Amino acid sequence: MSDTIQGHGQAALRTRVRETKFCTACGACVNLCPYQAYYQDEVVTLHVCDLQEGRCFAFCPRTATDLDSLRARLFDPQDLTPEIGAVKDYSICRAADEKIRRQAQHGGTVSALMSLALEEGIIDTAVVAQGGDRFTHQGVAVGEAAEVRKRGKSKFIAAGTIAAFNRAAQSDSQKIGVVATPCQALALAKMRMKPFPEKDNNIDKLKLVVGLFCGWTLSWKKLIPLLKTRTNLEEIVGMDIPPGKGQVAVFTQTGAIAIPWEEIDPLVREGCRICLDTTAEFADISVGSARLPEDWETLRSWNQVIVRTKTGQDLIDLARKKGILEFREVPAEVLEELKKAALNKKRTALKTIMEKTGTPEDLIYVDRRDSVICRILG
Amino acid sequence: MSKWIENKEGMRVLLMGNEAIVRGALEAGVHVAAGYPGTPSSEIIENLSKVARERHLYVEWSTNEKISLEVAAAASFAGLRAICPMKQNGVNVASDFLLHLAGSGTRGGLVLVSCDDPGALSSANEGESRHFARMIEIPLLEPGDFQEAKDMTRWAFELSEEIKNIVMVRSVTRLSHASGSVRLGKLPEKKGTAEFRFQGPFLNPDTGPVSSMPVAYHHDLQHKKLDRVRELFEESPFNTYEGPEKPELLVITSSACTLYCREALNLLGLKDRVGLLKLGTTWPLPPKLVKSYLAKAGKILIVEEVISFLEDSVKILAAEQAAEIGIKTFYGKNDGSIPMIGELNPDLVAAGLSKIMGVPYLSMDGAYEKEAQEAAGSLAPGRELNFCPGCPHRASFWSIHKALQLDNRQGFVCGDIGCYSLGALPAGFQSVKIAHAMGSGLGLACGFGKLGDFGMDQPTIAVCGDSTFFHAVLPALVNAIHQEAATLLIILDNSGTAMTGFQPHPGLPINAVGQEAPKVDIARVCEAMGAKVVIRDPFNLEETRATINALLEQGGVKVLILRQICALSPEKKGKEDYRMQIDESRCLGDECGCNHLCTRIFRCPGLIWDKGTKKSRIDEVICVGCGVCADICPNGAIMREEPVSL
Repeated sequence: MSDTIQGHGQAALRTRVRETKFCTACGACVNLCPYQAYYQDEVVTLHVCDLQEGRCFAFCPRTATDLDSLRARLFDPQDLTPEIGAVKDYSICRAADEKIRRQAQHGGTVSALMSLALEEGIIDTAVVAQGGDRFTHQGVAVGEAAEVRKRGKSKFIAAGTIAAFNRAAQSDSQKIGVVATPCQALALAKMRMKPFPEKDNNIDKLKLVVGLFCGWTLSWKKLIPLLKTRTNLEEIVGMDIPPGKGQVAVFTQTGAIAIPWEEIDPLVREGCRICLDTTAEFADISVGSARLPEDWETLRSWNQVIVRTKTGQDLIDLARKKGILEFREVPAEVLEELKKAALNKKRTALKTIMEKTGTPEDLIYVDRRDSVICRILG
Repeated sequence: MSKWIENKEGMRVLLMGNEAIVRGALEAGVHVAAGYPGTPSSEIIENLSKVARERHLYVEWSTNEKISLEVAAAASFAGLRAICPMKQNGVNVASDFLLHLAGSGTRGGLVLVSCDDPGALSSANEGESRHFARMIEIPLLEPGDFQEAKDMTRWAFELSEEIKNIVMVRSVTRLSHASGSVRLGKLPEKKGTAEFRFQGPFLNPDTGPVSSMPVAYHHDLQHKKLDRVRELFEESPFNTYEGPEKPELLVITSSACTLYCREALNLLGLKDRVGLLKLGTTWPLPPKLVKSYLAKAGKILIVEEVISFLEDSVKILAAEQAAEIGIKTFYGKNDGSIPMIGELNPDLVAAGLSKIMGVPYLSMDGAYEKEAQEAAGSLAPGRELNFCPGCPHRASFWSIHKALQLDNRQGFVCGDIGCYSLGALPAGFQSVKIAHAMGSGLGLACGFGKLGDFGMDQPTIAVCGDSTFFHAVLPALVNAIHQEAATLLIILDNSGTAMTGFQPHPGLPINAVGQEAPKVDIARVCEAMGAKVVIRDPFNLEETRATINALLEQGGVKVLILRQICALSPEKKGKEDYRMQIDESRCLGDECGCNHLCTRIFRCPGLIWDKGTKKSRIDEVICVGCGVCADICPNGAIMREEPVSL
């Protein structure tokens, strides 16, 4: 967006990100100061802050970001792919413990890895999303592996997780791991660049980012009325997207309800429609549902995992060594399918961005000169 | 008992305008007084309540001005003398009954005192009440000084009884609240006897039933009474002239403007060239008297505050008599010689006069003015319009604002007048977006709450005070419930009519004269009407905020009572809940991400940003120790400690 608002503080954030509805409610601007808050699934301004420059603006995943610099800072250059970021290792796996899988969305890999990281002292605090009152979600910091495992299900609604990270970073926690969606992982990556060196000491407490594959999140205020037309909110036990069916499945205590994609699409957050990242490219390790040739019931119990950094590699190696995860062979075409899907999302998002700005020179939060963008747009 | 009530006939005492009005009423032998608090009128009932026992009076703070006029009128119908003071807005409230009353006529002397507030020094408008006298066709008196405030009030009762109708006395803030020398008259001894007589013939004004019907008969009678009033006004000693026999300019004025005119004429040395006709009986104008003075000069300046009421009346008389007295050139509000808005003062009158008379006038030596402004700036602390330290309204608006921001649907507050009108300013985090008359917040919210079918999904909150709840919110609440308007009414219950000086209201177990009285429970009233009622302590910020958010998401009419006593209440004064301290090791000052939240946003005057230490500190002189600020500091630097009892 053009530089009409002076400064790089709250006012610019409000006009360029929130009023344009590009906000992903990642929570990065919350709990750094008393001026923003996360509520239900929105980030709101509580009071006007007149500072011309702020961490709120600098950390936001929807303000101008030099992705090439972030990649150079965080990853080994030879691991980088244009479609899904850095790939050190790729596997299909799941939690060996069937109890973990039962509490999880799919294979329980995230729960297993975070539990392991806590138990091994790699981290002392895990920041994860948890369900709250009436289907709302929010980030929470926990110190016990059992607490992580209880919060295993996918949320489909923003959870403002980074707000909880910001709070945990100011607490006595010394080693923090975060389970992050792509936008949240991007915010954490921007924090790691320390644009305000004198105020950013706490970011060094961030020891692990486990990324989640993410296609979109839904607006809570729009989703709730829709769900209420189908079932009681109290009866909902989970949601999922069966591949290739063009619908969202809502699981209740009495069975599954299918909602056609046409009804879901209008509920997708605007901020998600301009997202270039499917696989949480700025995490140490990214986990998503597996896309395998078998039936859904089978593949629902597996994850696909991209290892991106040495931290991620060490953790998965440890999990393998300790038998926490079980692995299966990776069919040759699966990674290529993922790359294709991820590239498609980038293309669609870029098209949406250019429709909004009217020019390929203004790509809202990414730079036209970025190496990946150049690869796509030419 | 006030000293000046004891003073004997003939003594000179320094009296506030409102006290002079009280003394005049007492000298007239008033029996009943009823009013609703409103600056600048409140001291009239207050002072009468203090002497109620000694002077055998019945005094009450009524629920609103219409009811107070009805209470006073009942006394008149029973043959007693009664006074009914109110501020200008109150006349609007009372006007429906007033219209009928003027038609029916009165028996015992009945005086309505309207205290207007030119410049809106303590009001949300510059309401003009004089038009009511013309509109409702009752006599209007305007005292021009403190002596007249007493004497005119006393005479107003006699006039009322002579014409058997209500008489209006109009004061203004500068008269009601300033003080001047008053020579006292005699206080009568006798106690009144009340009896409402209705057995007589239907149209008998003294013994028949009382009604404004048949209208044509009563309206005609009312005009005959006004004819008598004109005759009496022709002879009134309250109309005076000072100046040369053949003035170059005739100034016509009334009320406190008399004092400004005298001073301005003195300042400009124009006393020998300009005449000053000061009118005390301003409606209906005595035509012969006015004509005789209009005839003296070709140029006429009318000096008055608020609306060009006197100017219009004089111009009508001048037009009617133009054939005899010639065409006049008029100056006043309409040609811009006198400002249309705001309170007048001698400078403004002198400025107008100097232009018309072609004499130079500088209100103040430029150098002196600069020096005076600098001195004022350096000595007086720079303070904005703000809630007092420890005011529960600040805490209430903090939570209201936060709840509306979190709710994130562009919700807003329909406000009310009173201390909480500051909710529109930074003091109240600019939560109030619309504010009108007493009780109008809820009426407006009722309307907004019914616009859902037109696509409006912004939630509304109406706020009112506890006294206002009884005054004008009850009918709006009935409406909201019956019409099923989705809204939240927040009653900021600070246990008294705080802005006007803690007069009791029906929600308190005490009446105007300090006796025990049945208390009307606001919560039970609302519940009985069918509203969902929640009571919270506004000093508990998070609980209050969460309650508001929860209520905003519910349909129907919700009432939240935020109950915490006013920080200035006589009950509260001097008592600290906590001794507040700032832990300097925790206050990060400029280094904190808070960007001065406590002093820049929360803005309690008890918190100071110390430019030296670059940290916040407590102003121990004015902090009352409510402890609320401890909950807003993101770094926990503001500490509550138990107060040390002295």
